[in-house]
Amino acid sequence: MPELPELNPVVHGKLRLAVLSLLTTVEEAEFTWLRGRTGSTDGNLGAQLAKLEEAGYVAVEKKFVQRKPQTIYRMTEEGRRALAEYVQALKQLLGTAIGA
Amino acid sequence: MHEEASTQDLKERLALIESMIAEGRQRTQSWGWVFLLWGVAYYVAIGWSTLGRDLSVWGSGHNWAWPITMSAAFILTMIIGIRKGRGQPVTTAGRAIPAIWICVGISMFLLFPALAVNGRLDEHVFVALVGAMLGTANGASGIILRWKWQFLCAVVWWVTSAVACFGSITQLTVVFLTAIFLCQIVFGICTMILEARRRAHRGVIHA
Repeated sequence: MPELPELNPVVHGKLRLAVLSLLTTVEEAEFTWLRGRTGSTDGNLGAQLAKLEEAGYVAVEKKFVQRKPQTIYRMTEEGRRALAEYVQALKQLLGTAIGA
Repeated sequence: MHEEASTQDLKERLALIESMIAEGRQRTQSWGWVFLLWGVAYYVAIGWSTLGRDLSVWGSGHNWAWPITMSAAFILTMIIGIRKGRGQPVTTAGRAIPAIWICVGISMFLLFPALAVNGRLDEHVFVALVGAMLGTANGASGIILRWKWQFLCAVVWWVTSAVACFGSITQLTVVFLTAIFLCQIVFGICTMILEARRRAHRGVIHA
């Protein structure tokens, strides 16, 4: 019997997974856009994004536009790879579960 | 990790990925107001240029009506567009579509005054060129966004462009006013309604 894959715990968190999925569709996105799309709170989203940044899955850029602070997030290559591997593992696990 | 994860939980995760990708791909910027604004601007320009005259001479009336109205509409579009665009994500389509419209706008702002100064711009040429350019911009945007309604607007503009080469000025005026009404006013209002509905359907995701 083939060994079952492990699910990456950093990617597995619901909000982190939602953020990574959203970031695959854009080149870069602002914090407020991610908050609006996920419907989460500032604190929760900030904490989850910090975990993704720590893992090297997202890159952050802070800047001022017309004297207003903006935090821009973009997905790294490592992040894309991690999400692709997570989806593969998920499909494999589901295939196993359905087949069992 | 997978030992604790139930099949239902795994399915939910997969559904979450799919829904978030679909959500991210949705057009997030509101552009319906631009169509409405320019539709109103065309009507204002036509109305102003025919003040005290017969509608069949709308192109040769007050000389400053079109340049002033179009410049005002352009400035308003830029100001509102920049304000509304703040916080929107950067996407390839998000850069491509404004690029098409900006280039079409530049072509119009250069071509029409040049033709007018030379006295080579009559109502037929004007409507034919406007129709062709708006058809191009709407068609390209419709293809990029895979939006059949916008592509239908392109078809209306292309037909207007071809029809403008024939008939009397009265017939031309009716065709032009109808195209503006359908492709700017009606399309703009419908797009704004769709955008408002889309904004209302948002869920919440917890960690």
